Amino acid sequence: MSLSFMIFLYVFLIATALVISAINDILSAVITLSVFGILLATAFAILQAPDVALTQAVINSGIVTALFLVAFSQTEKPECYSEEEEE
Amino acid sequence: MSIRPFIFRIAALILCVSLGLMLFRGIAALPVPEKVIGPAGHYLARTAGETGARNVVGAILFDYRAFDTLGESTVIFTAVCGIAMLFSRRKFHRSSRGLSFIAKRGIGIMVPFLLMYASVIILFGHLSPGGGFQGGTIFATVTVLLCVVYGSSFESQYFPPRTKDILESGGALLFSGIGLIGLAAGTGFLSNIAAGFPAGTFGSFLSAGSVPILNVAVGMKVGAGLSTIFYSMIKMLDAENDHIEGGRPR
Repeated sequence: MSLSFMIFLYVFLIATALVISAINDILSAVITLSVFGILLATAFAILQAPDVALTQAVINSGIVTALFLVAFSQTEKPECYSEEEEE
Repeated sequence: MSIRPFIFRIAALILCVSLGLMLFRGIAALPVPEKVIGPAGHYLARTAGETGARNVVGAILFDYRAFDTLGESTVIFTAVCGIAMLFSRRKFHRSSRGLSFIAKRGIGIMVPFLLMYASVIILFGHLSPGGGFQGGTIFATVTVLLCVVYGSSFESQYFPPRTKDILESGGALLFSGIGLIGLAAGTGFLSNIAAGFPAGTFGSFLSAGSVPILNVAVGMKVGAGLSTIFYSMIKMLDAENDHIEGGRPR
């Protein structure tokens, strides 16, 4: 696999991980987590670990996203997260 | 807007970057191995002869380390029991009517292919990447799709919770029963070829002794378990948030 594609993949992995940890909106964080899972699965497949890649893709982008979305819609949502987080 | 969170963030960033640099230097300092030694070398050299499975990862999971796999699936079993108990207070439940007609028809066309894909991943777990865990999770994803698109009462009509319970317990029983066969043969719990399971032709569909059976058992367990978790969570959600009179959406 070409070096430029690997660099693209790793840069986007780091970027999505930073977005997940830093963003205030939980829904965006969950969706970014799914994107992160797909990118990580691609990285595993390139590194010749197809079993791990399959598990990562199915678990992270399928089940975990669905469970997190259900949990998100069942919890109370404060008006704005940002002011609470600053304190 | 105080300055303290900013300082904390900078400190955390420096900590992360320095830890990552140390790990990276550690990777660079590792010697490149000339040949694979230890258990990994044994697995790579002897898996084909000892188990008959072409997928070495599957052979390790369901033959050499099958007892660990039994423990892992017991963890999922316990989690499903706990979550189902936690969410089981509400007896009645109403279902949403699901999404639009277009989404329903689109998912209806996709679902048979998804089911076939999951079955192939489970049944060919000893030949190609995949196995019971991954295939079972795809089965659970299909039920999640049905729950979301058609409404949960439709899903529970086609995959009743009772059936899921039976499937999950049956998977556990099948796994333990295969293990007990090895114990009865006198070769140890969950032993494969040594316990008399036919090894078959290397690379053919019917090969690798008990590995495909254990794959099916784990697939039943994981698929039914994860789908039960999602169903019990969304059932409560539907009962609380949806005020449409339920019933079966066609």
